[in-house]
Amino acid sequence: MNKHSSYVPKGLYPFKTILIISLSLIVVISFYLISSIRTESFIWHFFVKFPNVIGLIGDFFPPDWSYLEQVWPKLFETIHMAIIATTIAVIISIPFSLLTANNVTTTTWIYQFMRFLLNITRTIPDIILAVVFVGLFGIGAFSGIIALIIFAIGILVKLMSEVIETIDMNPTEAIRASGGNGLQTISFAIVPQVLPQFISFSLYVFEINIRASLVLGLVGAGGIGQLLNKEINFMNYPAVSTIIIIVFAVVVVIDYISGKLREGLV
Amino acid sequence: MSNQPLTLPKKPKSKLKLVKRVIVLIAIVLIYIWTFSNISIRWESIFSVRTLENIDRIIPRFFQPAFEETGSIMEMMIETIFIAYTGSLAAAVIAVPLAFLCASNMVRNKFLNNIGMWILGAVRAFPEIVLAIIFVAAVGPNPFAGVLAIAIGSTGMLGKLYSEVIESIDMNVIETLEASGANKMQILFYGIMPQVLPEFLSYAIYRFEIDVRASSVLGIVGAGGIGTLITFAYMNRNWEEVGMILLVIIITVTIIDQISGFIRKRLV
Amino acid sequence: MIEFQNLSLVYPNGTEGLKNINVKINEGEFVVIVGLSGAGKSTFIRSINRLVTPTNGALFVEDEDVLQLNGKGLRQLRTKIGMIFQSYNLVKRSTVIKNVISGRLGYTGTLQSILNIFSKEDKLLAYENLKRVNIEEKLYNRADELSGGQQQRVSIARVLTQKPKLILADEPVASLDPPTSHQVMKYLKQINVEDNITTIVNLHFIDMAMEYADRIIGMRAGEVVFDGPVSEVTEKTFEEIYGRSIRDEDRRGGVEDE
Repeated sequence: MNKHSSYVPKGLYPFKTILIISLSLIVVISFYLISSIRTESFIWHFFVKFPNVIGLIGDFFPPDWSYLEQVWPKLFETIHMAIIATTIAVIISIPFSLLTANNVTTTTWIYQFMRFLLNITRTIPDIILAVVFVGLFGIGAFSGIIALIIFAIGILVKLMSEVIETIDMNPTEAIRASGGNGLQTISFAIVPQVLPQFISFSLYVFEINIRASLVLGLVGAGGIGQLLNKEINFMNYPAVSTIIIIVFAVVVVIDYISGKLREGLV
Repeated sequence: MSNQPLTLPKKPKSKLKLVKRVIVLIAIVLIYIWTFSNISIRWESIFSVRTLENIDRIIPRFFQPAFEETGSIMEMMIETIFIAYTGSLAAAVIAVPLAFLCASNMVRNKFLNNIGMWILGAVRAFPEIVLAIIFVAAVGPNPFAGVLAIAIGSTGMLGKLYSEVIESIDMNVIETLEASGANKMQILFYGIMPQVLPEFLSYAIYRFEIDVRASSVLGIVGAGGIGTLITFAYMNRNWEEVGMILLVIIITVTIIDQISGFIRKRLV
Repeated sequence: MIEFQNLSLVYPNGTEGLKNINVKINEGEFVVIVGLSGAGKSTFIRSINRLVTPTNGALFVEDEDVLQLNGKGLRQLRTKIGMIFQSYNLVKRSTVIKNVISGRLGYTGTLQSILNIFSKEDKLLAYENLKRVNIEEKLYNRADELSGGQQQRVSIARVLTQKPKLILADEPVASLDPPTSHQVMKYLKQINVEDNITTIVNLHFIDMAMEYADRIIGMRAGEVVFDGPVSEVTEKTFEEIYGRSIRDEDRRGGVEDE
């Protein structure tokens, strides 16, 4: 585009920007190639294997509707697990999110320690929690509930402490100035400001817990996932597709309801 | 209290609001009754000597991670990262046209917007593990199934976030370009992309963070990655290895979170 | 009575907030503290209810050295001292009545207050105080539905609900327009006269200081540079306090009545 005698701007961007962008593109694409080779997954393989997918649909369809009777109890167990786990997680999260907000907890080492704990908790996949608790307490809903509680606390405390850190701190000064103690300051100046978001996040975590409890069943921690695991092992695909359709419907319905509730809150 | 000189005026309460509140309250109470009367937990086996023995047996082993397995675990962790990377990059690209379809300021057709929203919503409703089960059945138990599950799962979320970004752009710029005679493609590359690209990238990187966590689980259903090892270790009751896997995941995820946080801060 | 004895405050970063302050404020006085921003007015006021902690000297409020107080004792002292802030500091999402009744927190048990259980007397007191500042019809409105002047009146009602012996006001009119500012100052003055509550107000508007104060204390760089009855104060005095000539921005101006 260039190399003229008089000054002509070389391109629309400074050289450094172009260099950074080209370098990042090269890195991104080469890393993509490496990972594609390593995982033997080029997107066109999908189309190569497309006949498989068609064949598979034949296996999965039609769903075995007579299987429904066996689905309901386990589905309800999943929902119950999610309800109990969310409730307990919400209660436990309240003090923890206050301790993890740097405008409420001004003691630096407590705050730093809580942050550290939270970050570690959040990196543990739900499935490993389930594996450990199933090992400890045996197969069943209880292990799943405990795993979900810890998983949910990680998410809730992170979201909540971030909200608490953005609130208007002036009212807390007013309450302190009028002689209110710590708990009164929290309940009069902080709670009203964060309550709507707190409820909204609790519903959101409930949605996540429904999905997560599906995974937990695969290692024996109760709920509909356990059923799913069994039918996959038996290669009973019509039953699997019944389960998947039911799960899909439940997730959509619960997302919808909780979405509506959250809209009403904020 | 009528002899008081001052009385507090009654709180104005609309009947509808009160009825709504009562209904919600009753619904919540009923849900909890239903939950707690139905949940089957065998307390006697949970609070038993066996549990105590388990705790005594498992916990110490858990905290003596099997460092000798580091090599093979790291290898699978890298595979996990590759799965997450390939999947999220594919999703980051596939999500773009879908997002434009959903954005009401780009496609001025409510019907098409709704179709796009429906596709994305339907995809989001499938938990990744279910997608993984389907793809394992379709393409066999290999990392490719994991990549597909991650790609499809991430497209749902990225498409929604992208379309929100597109809907919030400054439309005056586009009007200006239109007025100067630019065609649709030119408007896309000069008017829209510069506005949305940083946020698109930021969301894609954020989604990669999530995908690393997600893909470390997928191996349980045979879709490759470190999850495969979790299943084996769990079945063999090899708690030292579970401990080591957990340690590797925690460290890797933390490092990736730090890097991605750093890049995203630079982007915006 | 409030007495500052050789009171100094050094912030952790080394800034001197207050330098060797010796001031005595008598019961029922309406004192206005003037000075440029950063002169230490706010630190002065906040030392009295220990929102900041002075590092040296002694500060007596009703014969109690506030520097020696802690925990419960400090909270008991604070219930006797009402404070009004520049940004009103109401909880915006809560109703007016809930904001006002929060003035009773120091007198109410923790559990009761968390469950929102207040006595009939407390509720009536809150309502009566809202009437005093003519805003009782907004009782059940949310605080964020009110204008700035209305919010400041609510915060005066909150302070009154504490039944204070002393009111501190930190730049109470800085965020308001001139007519509303005068209205708020009038309420403060009226309460000062009717209830004989000692009132200390930070202001940087010289005309308002002259109009409402009994006594003016001038501050500069953490030191008291002037202290005397309002009758002794002239424009010259302000120039000495501010260390520069008086500008337009130092006057609030505006009408005296709405």
